[in-house]
Amino acid sequence: MSQSILEIKNLYVTYKGEENFRALNNISFILRQGETLGIVGESGSGKTTLALTLMGLLDKKAHIAGEVWYKDQCLSDLPEKEREQYRWNKISIVFQNSLEVLNPVLTIYEQIYECLQRHTSFSREQMDTKVYELLQRVGLKRQWVKAYPHELSGGMRQRVLIAMALSCEPDVLIVDEPTTALDAMGKREIMDMLLNLQQEQGFSMIVISHEMQVIAQLTQRVGVLYSGYLLEEGPTSSVLKEPMHTYTRGLLSSAPILNPYRDLWGIAGEMHRENRQGCPFYSRCNQSIALCKEETPRFKIISAHRKVACHRGGIVTLLKAKNVKKQYVTENRKIQACKNCRLEIKAGETVVLLGQSGSGKTTLASILGGLLAPDEGDIYFQGEKVNGNNVTSKIGGVQMVFQDPFSAINEHFTILEAVEEPLHIMKEGTKEERKRKAIQALCDVSLPTTPGFLTIRCHQLSGGQRQRVAIARSLVTHPKVLLADEISSMLDPSTQANLLRFLKGLQNEKGFSMLYITHDIAVAQKIADRIYIMYQGEIVEEGNAWDLFSNPKHNYTKKLLGEGLARW
Amino acid sequence: MKKIKEYWKMFSMPAKIAALWLILICSMALLAGIITRYPCYIPSGSSLEPPSFTHIIGTDDLGIDLWAQICYGARTSLMIGFGTALLAGVGGSLFGIFAAYKGGWVDILMMRIVDMMIILPQLPLMIVLGAFLGPNIGNIVVVLALFSWTGIARIVRSKVLSLKQEKYVLAAQSYGASFFYIVKKHFFPSVFPLIMVGMIRLTSRAIVAEASLSFLGLGDPASKSWGMILHHALNFKGIYFTPYWKWWITSPLLAVLSVVIAIAFIGREIEKIINMKK
Repeated sequence: MSQSILEIKNLYVTYKGEENFRALNNISFILRQGETLGIVGESGSGKTTLALTLMGLLDKKAHIAGEVWYKDQCLSDLPEKEREQYRWNKISIVFQNSLEVLNPVLTIYEQIYECLQRHTSFSREQMDTKVYELLQRVGLKRQWVKAYPHELSGGMRQRVLIAMALSCEPDVLIVDEPTTALDAMGKREIMDMLLNLQQEQGFSMIVISHEMQVIAQLTQRVGVLYSGYLLEEGPTSSVLKEPMHTYTRGLLSSAPILNPYRDLWGIAGEMHRENRQGCPFYSRCNQSIALCKEETPRFKIISAHRKVACHRGGIVTLLKAKNVKKQYVTENRKIQACKNCRLEIKAGETVVLLGQSGSGKTTLASILGGLLAPDEGDIYFQGEKVNGNNVTSKIGGVQMVFQDPFSAINEHFTILEAVEEPLHIMKEGTKEERKRKAIQALCDVSLPTTPGFLTIRCHQLSGGQRQRVAIARSLVTHPKVLLADEISSMLDPSTQANLLRFLKGLQNEKGFSMLYITHDIAVAQKIADRIYIMYQGEIVEEGNAWDLFSNPKHNYTKKLLGEGLARW
Repeated sequence: MKKIKEYWKMFSMPAKIAALWLILICSMALLAGIITRYPCYIPSGSSLEPPSFTHIIGTDDLGIDLWAQICYGARTSLMIGFGTALLAGVGGSLFGIFAAYKGGWVDILMMRIVDMMIILPQLPLMIVLGAFLGPNIGNIVVVLALFSWTGIARIVRSKVLSLKQEKYVLAAQSYGASFFYIVKKHFFPSVFPLIMVGMIRLTSRAIVAEASLSFLGLGDPASKSWGMILHHALNFKGIYFTPYWKWWITSPLLAVLSVVIAIAFIGREIEKIINMKK
């Protein structure tokens, strides 16, 4: 492994003011020679503060604790005078692209010239040739040297900024949001250029961005910053493929580039800025436990090259099925409905089980929900073995929503009775509490909750309404995993669309995990985080939705994708 | 009360008449002590009197008032009818529900018992049992119920078998519902109309069966039922050579027939309404 060029140890940054605001919290990482490290996070997560701290450019109001090492030199102890020598010469920054970064009364030539003048001891001629050389390197034509910043396009300005940052041939280049506000072509050009420059000059890079595309293209490793805390760190490809922190996953599913088919869903809730105890992501996390509120999790290694700050050791696996086998025996033949099926559902994700009818999907779902006993194999829900109804008969367990809404609800029941039923059977709470919870659940599925509506018998409802009542009945027990078996296949397209969007929205808000079983590829592409493809009782392929759809491996998947996408 | 009114509106004319008739017979049975002038065991006139103002439908060979006998007999007959229906209905439906719910070998075993009950020749066995247990109303009800629950059990079982496949039952089971909960909340409301119809049919069957047992001399000799009256009358030697049969045989016979027909009408009507509702 190459040696470290920049190391940060336990960095804290606090902005002093009427209320002290801690912008960075116990950040430690290492940047190696020639490597590119990405820092991602929502706006306000402390990315820019981090960049400025590394540059030593934070103003006096900020209190910095911790150490920044450049090779063998601790920068944070140095007086401002000596620090100056490292800034720009060793570590330089490409500021976030905007008009204000460049001096409006200087031409491009003068901007870069000034930069060289201040940081190097070149002669005039040397500096003159250097300016042209830099401009050529960043792909800017000579004719622009006399232009003023406002005359340039966004992409060109970005090039000028890069040229300025490279003027002193630094070892470490910090790039802050290099591609925001650029069009797709511009983005690509800038990214290609940065990669080329890095190859030519061999500098290390820290790329700060909230754009996953940029991170994926430019970086080898990535750190996820949230509210001043580093929540996850690891090799970029594996972090993108298999995020370990719920926040990282939330970021990924909000990125359009990674979700070409799927609906986008941002992370529910807002970032809290107040300094308080506990995990910074507590209020938005869907797998939080009591400890998360009390104590800030330590940033620790959970697997090879991967680090996560989470009390639960990253995204937990809620439901796990191993080697599930099920065979139906009729008089003259045996049907293998499930052959060695393996399936995992993690907290907060939507898993789609895709397969044609008769592939054994419903059998597998029934086994997962404990409705059917497998011939072989075990199912574990949060480490507890699924046996009969032990996980479905409790609050916060597994719940199933069935395909046929007309069979799923007893039509003799009133709506209130139907929704209350699980609580009634589980003997949860008093009568009033049950009613309150049932009404809450009906609110969640956006059905009316007037006394008149509550006492309607279910046979008066339409299919879509009944399906919602069925969902409300499942939600009333606050399930951690919802098994949805073709729940929209018997509904008309419009109702189906409404129900799907609404269910996904509900999931985003409540944070339960969902196994959605369908034969409909288009639906799967719309909602899946991960996909399992089932064919003749076997799970033939599994993977990330965007990975699997863009690059199917199994022949059956390829065929299915070919069939499924409509050719007009 | 509201529901009864609704049903009443849905009844056709014959069924309304039948229901009124049944109510009349029931009230006759209930008010037997008030609407009869003479006792039903002790002679109150000379023997074999034709209908007159004192004895509305005449007297039997012992001079006992026939009207009193018919009224008190209605008590016994209806009690046996309804008692048998209730016992067989409840027992049969519980049997059916349990067999269907448990499924597997329990179901197989229980249904074989039903088959056995069906193939047993009923009347001879009833005679044997009736003779063996001794004739009193309780025993008669039990014996009659013993042979009439199978139909209900089979109907209920098949209905519950189909209900068991319904997802709402699976859901309730997955929430941890007990057998009793599922029976009470999910099975019973759906099965109830079927039990209802079955029980109404059983009522008339039981009344006829009691009459036939009594006719064969296996009824409770101490009780007055329509069957017993008929039995006595038919045992009167040469009854058809005299005019006595006109009141002595006709009155209990008409009572039995009219009640059975009325119940049949009502049963058919309720069945129709239930089917319509579905």
